[in-house]
Amino acid sequence: MNDLPTTRDEVAFLARRAGWGLAPGELDSWTALGTSAFIDALTQPDAVGIAAEASPWVDFEYVDPAGDNKSRVAMARQVLDSWLGHLASTQRPFENSLAWFWHDHFAVSGQVVNYLPALIDHLDLLREAGTGDFVELIRSVTTDAAMLVFLDGATSTGDAPNENYGRELLELYTVGVDSYTEDDVVAAARALTGWVVRRRDGWAVRYRPARHDDSPQTLLGVSGVHDVDSTVEAACGHQACPGFIATKMARHYLGPVDESVVAELSATFANSGLDIMTLGRAVLETGIAGNGEPQILAPVPWLIHAVKATGADIPVRSRLAMLRNMGQVPGQPPNVGGFPGSSTWLGSSATAARFSSANEISRLTPDDSVALTAAAQREWDELADVCLRPSGFSAATLDALGALSTSASRRPGEAALGVALASPDLVVG
Amino acid sequence: MISRRSFLEGAGAVAGSAAVGGAVWAAVVRDSVNNHAAQLTFGLPTTTSTTTTTTGAPVAAATDRVLVLLELAGGNDALNTLVPIAGSPNGAYHDLRPTLALDDAETIELASTDCALHAALAPIAPLWDESKMAIAAGVGIAGQSRSHFKAMDAWWAGSGAPTQTGWLGRWLDASLDAERNGVDDPLRAIALGGGARALAASNSTATVVRNPSSFQLRTAGQNDADAIIDAFLATSSPLASNPTLASAQQAIPITVDAVNVMSSVIASPDAAVSEEGNQAGSSEVSTLLQAAAGIVELGIGTRVITVGINGFDTHADQLARHSVLWSEVAEGLAGFFARLEASGNRDRVTVLTTSEFGRRAAENGSGGTDHGGGGLQFLFGSDLQSQQIRGALDLSSLRNGDLPVVLETPSVYAAALHWLGDPAHVSASVGEDVETLPFFSRP
Repeated sequence: MNDLPTTRDEVAFLARRAGWGLAPGELDSWTALGTSAFIDALTQPDAVGIAAEASPWVDFEYVDPAGDNKSRVAMARQVLDSWLGHLASTQRPFENSLAWFWHDHFAVSGQVVNYLPALIDHLDLLREAGTGDFVELIRSVTTDAAMLVFLDGATSTGDAPNENYGRELLELYTVGVDSYTEDDVVAAARALTGWVVRRRDGWAVRYRPARHDDSPQTLLGVSGVHDVDSTVEAACGHQACPGFIATKMARHYLGPVDESVVAELSATFANSGLDIMTLGRAVLETGIAGNGEPQILAPVPWLIHAVKATGADIPVRSRLAMLRNMGQVPGQPPNVGGFPGSSTWLGSSATAARFSSANEISRLTPDDSVALTAAAQREWDELADVCLRPSGFSAATLDALGALSTSASRRPGEAALGVALASPDLVVG
Repeated sequence: MISRRSFLEGAGAVAGSAAVGGAVWAAVVRDSVNNHAAQLTFGLPTTTSTTTTTTGAPVAAATDRVLVLLELAGGNDALNTLVPIAGSPNGAYHDLRPTLALDDAETIELASTDCALHAALAPIAPLWDESKMAIAAGVGIAGQSRSHFKAMDAWWAGSGAPTQTGWLGRWLDASLDAERNGVDDPLRAIALGGGARALAASNSTATVVRNPSSFQLRTAGQNDADAIIDAFLATSSPLASNPTLASAQQAIPITVDAVNVMSSVIASPDAAVSEEGNQAGSSEVSTLLQAAAGIVELGIGTRVITVGINGFDTHADQLARHSVLWSEVAEGLAGFFARLEASGNRDRVTVLTTSEFGRRAAENGSGGTDHGGGGLQFLFGSDLQSQQIRGALDLSSLRNGDLPVVLETPSVYAAALHWLGDPAHVSASVGEDVETLPFFSRP
């Protein structure tokens, strides 16, 4: 159970789990406005007057690299930099957090989808459709060019169906591994045949009826000739779907929660007609009510939180190297299951890379940073508060910071700020 | 200011032996590698040799056997790795795979069998004639799933039943008393790149290094790197009561030790990796296996190393992809054994491959194969019976289009564990009723 004794703790909790952190001063402001105002801002930004935001990639211009690998890498770097910059600056952080959740869920990798405009379209789709109707999200993703290539739908034909997408649609995206049979996988694969991606035509998606399998199939108990709509309906309409998605979202934001809590969330999601933001809000509210556990932060949120707390200006190459070394690069989930579970972030590679990254972030923190000033003045409670731990550091970290000689730093506070950022306190969200 | 020594003493009082055991090891390692007497500050007497630690746990000599588990994640296609070349299976093979079937020129015949290896395995094919390669064919777990994740769970657990521990983790636990007087040592089991799930244990901690090439503790040009690393270590003690925070604390001393070890087995971390990936000519699997060889040579008592790579989920464009994957694995293994041969450590090591399932017997329409059933495991080592393929890729009795599982993976695990250590510890890993397949001539 989370112990959230004050409004300040509640706001800090929401900002850590669902808000990509806060910049100095923002915790004060939101605490003054109150927890429910903060939840409203996170979950219904339009209603509270927060302006719409353009895609992070609105200014991206794709130039065919024509075999020039350097230019390809440079463009990929630019795409990731825009994304990370947007996560650190967005005024609609929970929407972007949900898009990140769906990125982890669908796990489309830019290493497989080797065409940046298609990857960007996919990520924009997750941003745009990732807060509304879950059925529409699944439908859109199913015929999205990046997904058709990622899981081979584009080469699946009625004569020789490819089961890759059909299986993962059921196992990973909608109902879970215990809720379908192998026959359902085959039926889904057959039902989804006929879609192609015209690579020479900017990866345009087309439906070719001649490639579709029109033989009747039984899919999750629904018989007939299936197409995309009926397949998506069968999967999303299956009784296991609301609970599968509610469980995954609750775990993502809250860690393990009691089955009774999941059952409530699942019912809320089902009763809303599978409205994603309704589920998202319910997850945050039950977290505030004390359900859930302390969580190990993945490298991407850890980095964004550190950047916002310190104001550090990190060159794109360094940012990406940090994330690569910590083991989580946006746009590159390691396999179809998405990014690994939280214990991975306590492995030795991630731990060492986090320490090295923390010291580099501290080095790149501007002189007038509130966090650096607090570290230089050895105001540890102030430093913890800027880092969204209003209850202060643990005894171990306090002792460690207190024992660290000021002469270890090149600039006052730099060494201590690095150790604080890498400390177990800030790894646990 | 807190010193490393006082940190360790403090941690010993509160955190128990796990962190201390590991950190003490780092000192031993550092000493043996760098021979800097001044660095022996971890509470060790200056006369410390590499035979005991202050905890009294016996230190494994460099004669200990080491099992290297090589995971080929994604589901390696068994039929195009071990190819039927004679008799009726051969005709069925070509019928099922009109575009994927390999012909004689694309394979290497295995003497005294009716099978051949994919030509990409050429760098390790000579091991067959040297009796240093054995194969389990049609291997799997009874009732295993075609889901990657469910099948992996079963392979890591070593059983079809759900369990929190892995088969190697249970062996580490079972042998902990006999081999280490019950004192945990995270360097006893090291995961490189993947495979860590097999090491999950109740009383034994493993070290998990995803990418040895970029594995360092950097302090960004501060005045006193040691003081900063000391402070980082100090954040791990005393342990918090909250288990999540405590687990984040415990990761720190394990990491500092692992960095010390890996820095001595990776030649030049800076040169090895660029932002775009590994240097040309050095595949990921090769880098990981070279690091594994370095750990074996270091003789720090590591008994199990897992190496994991991805990419075997070849639903499309399989001919080209599978060939590249196996070329890299075969070159990596050849380089691994060549290095161990040169350092006199080859006979200490057995490599066992795993992959969560084989693939469908028939190809799909994308030039690939979908998830299937019975798969392959290779064993490589000096103590194997000559030229044996146990089990078979049985094309005459497909089940739902899959090769049947005719050998149980745990019985292959049992063989490897019998070779690795005391036979008394095998059943704790794989269960009482599992047959031990006689792969080894010198168990």
